[in-house]
Amino acid sequence: MAKAEVRLSAVEVAFVLGLTVLLVRVGQVQLVRGAEFAAAADSQRTETVELPARRGSLFDRTGVPLAATLESYQVGIAPNELRDPPREVRLIAAQLGLSERQIRTRLSDRWIEFRGPFSSAQVYPLRAVRGVHLTASFARFYPDPDLARQLLGRPAGDGSPAGGIERVLDSLLTGHAGHGVVIRDGKGRAYESPSRLSAFPVPGHDVHLTIDAGVQEIVENALAEAIDRFDAAGGDVVVIDPRTGEVLAVSSRRADGSTPSSAFTSAFEPGSTAKIFAAAALLARNRVEPDDSVFGEGGRWVTPSRTLEDEHESETPWMTLEQAIRISSNIAAVKFAALLDPAEQFMMLRAFGFGTATGIEYPAESRGTLRLPYQWSGTTPQALAIGYEIAVTPLQLALAYGAIANDGVLMRPALIKRIIAPGRDVIVEHVPEPVRRVVPIEIARELREMLRGVTSAGGTGATAALSTFEVAGKTGTARVAGPGGYVAGSHIAVFASIFPAGDPQLVMVVKLDNPRGTYARVSAAPLTRAVLEQVLAAQTNALDRTRMTRNAAPVPRRAPSTGADMPRAVIDLPDTARPARLTRAVPDVLGLAPREAVRRLHAAGFRVRLEGSGPIVDAVPAAGDTATTGAIVVLRGTHRRGL
Amino acid sequence: MIAWLIAVLGVLTWVVARQTASHLLARELDDTRSERSAAEAEKAELLRRIRAAGSRAALIPRAESLGLRLPADSEIVILQMPDSGGR
Repeated sequence: MAKAEVRLSAVEVAFVLGLTVLLVRVGQVQLVRGAEFAAAADSQRTETVELPARRGSLFDRTGVPLAATLESYQVGIAPNELRDPPREVRLIAAQLGLSERQIRTRLSDRWIEFRGPFSSAQVYPLRAVRGVHLTASFARFYPDPDLARQLLGRPAGDGSPAGGIERVLDSLLTGHAGHGVVIRDGKGRAYESPSRLSAFPVPGHDVHLTIDAGVQEIVENALAEAIDRFDAAGGDVVVIDPRTGEVLAVSSRRADGSTPSSAFTSAFEPGSTAKIFAAAALLARNRVEPDDSVFGEGGRWVTPSRTLEDEHESETPWMTLEQAIRISSNIAAVKFAALLDPAEQFMMLRAFGFGTATGIEYPAESRGTLRLPYQWSGTTPQALAIGYEIAVTPLQLALAYGAIANDGVLMRPALIKRIIAPGRDVIVEHVPEPVRRVVPIEIARELREMLRGVTSAGGTGATAALSTFEVAGKTGTARVAGPGGYVAGSHIAVFASIFPAGDPQLVMVVKLDNPRGTYARVSAAPLTRAVLEQVLAAQTNALDRTRMTRNAAPVPRRAPSTGADMPRAVIDLPDTARPARLTRAVPDVLGLAPREAVRRLHAAGFRVRLEGSGPIVDAVPAAGDTATTGAIVVLRGTHRRGL
Repeated sequence: MIAWLIAVLGVLTWVVARQTASHLLARELDDTRSERSAAEAEKAELLRRIRAAGSRAALIPRAESLGLRLPADSEIVILQMPDSGGR
């Protein structure tokens, strides 16, 4: 009996002890380590994920998208989960642009993955297919992949922007990633839980560039054609708005098709395009009067340090500054520049922005080379007068000519026109920023007149001239410096232009490396004309055409109808297309609407200059007068400005 | 007791209905988001095709094949807008 009681007591003690241990353990699990276990359980059931932010878009100045971000997908297939493999394989292959065989041969695998990336439109019909698993990410999309490629930049292999605007503005474009919690079931499948977003992703800012997509396309195509046509090693074109400093187009290209960013990053000796800056210093310092002239030495001048030659023969033995610029005389430029002391010459070049970075929003901009006067040799002033011993980027040259076009005020260049925050607030709007006044207004206008002479008959830039609107500009052909001095037979042809000359709206610098024919007048100047003609014909807002109508080349009010003083045609039509010159009566268009009047005159073979708007009230030559086909008929509308 | 049971069942029914509705809404939201994403992708593709079709590289050869050419500047006539200033 006693034995049984002992046994019972032992069982009771053991039970109590066991219960105590259990309670202690429960207490430990629930109270002491409760939070730890709760967290562990939560982590198995839920997962915090990063929600990527959509990268901001890039647009041109008119809102044309240049770069955007879209969702893209990788597609994973679990073959054993497919319900109707033959049908679903057909669907998957059709949507992803794959062959059915590519998928069917791998159906025995446990997992098939196609990295793509595939667009949302491609994968949308696959969402309902069991066994198809989609992994979303964002991908950069360029509607016109080749347009302004180097300027915009592209993502590197790791997805980070490798260069260009994408890199410069990366922090603004990137946005801020959000965070959210997804719930996982026992099999590890994630379920999105909208109520558990801890931080919403904030998309990046949208950026509108100053680039005009239309002009950019014209420039890129024209440069590529010119490199091919002139067998050049490469080239650069920069187009800016001189009033605002905004870059409207920029293109750099090498003969092998590569597109470096050399318009901003690579400096060259500008040759004769720099003569206008010596002229600016001479005029600003009153060292030269319009009638002052220097002897042209018959086109060849041997100095103790160098022999100077002029490519173009002067009409007169003595040359004024205007004549020197028009025929690009090295001899006269050097002789005139001798009237300046080194400090004056240096200060004018520095005032035009040479030797300093322009501050454009682009990485690795070159500041070019302009040595301080104490570093000059005895021949440096001569060299600088004709564009040697100084190195400039195409952008710097465009801005310097822009200062001449902008009545003497140098503007800071801009590539970014507007930055828009995710809430659609405009946080940055480009405001034209003058850097300094380089020359007084009247001097700038005088310089423009000189440059206008360059494109007139007999000037070195006559091949850039248009017949209806005036172009001002300057040619430059410079030898290329190598490690051991100037490289024999290697040249750069440059043409810097202002358009229209009377009321400038565009400044363009065209540079060709080693073009066949060497001289700018036969390569860079015609390329300038080709670009301007296309811009004139294009539907672009880069030109204010209303302003241009006030600045068309003057036409005599009563033009003789002989055709003897007819403006020169710009494009030589092929012989087969060249219309025969005929003399015929000018049709009567008085009282007609301008569009109809122009149509009738074009149909009769005449060209038309329209002044004013509304029904036509006057025509020169008048209706019934005879004129040669191709002659300009000036029509005047009822309403004319200033009347 | 029955009142308690009904109350509990009522609460449970309400919770289940609410959860079901939220799941349906979440699915609808997901579908709408996918549709929007697909529409955006389609828009981007159309935009790319429009840009390619409207580019000078595509248009100029086509225009030349039709006997057209780029006008010279002398052939361009700029029509002036009527002056808005009160005259």
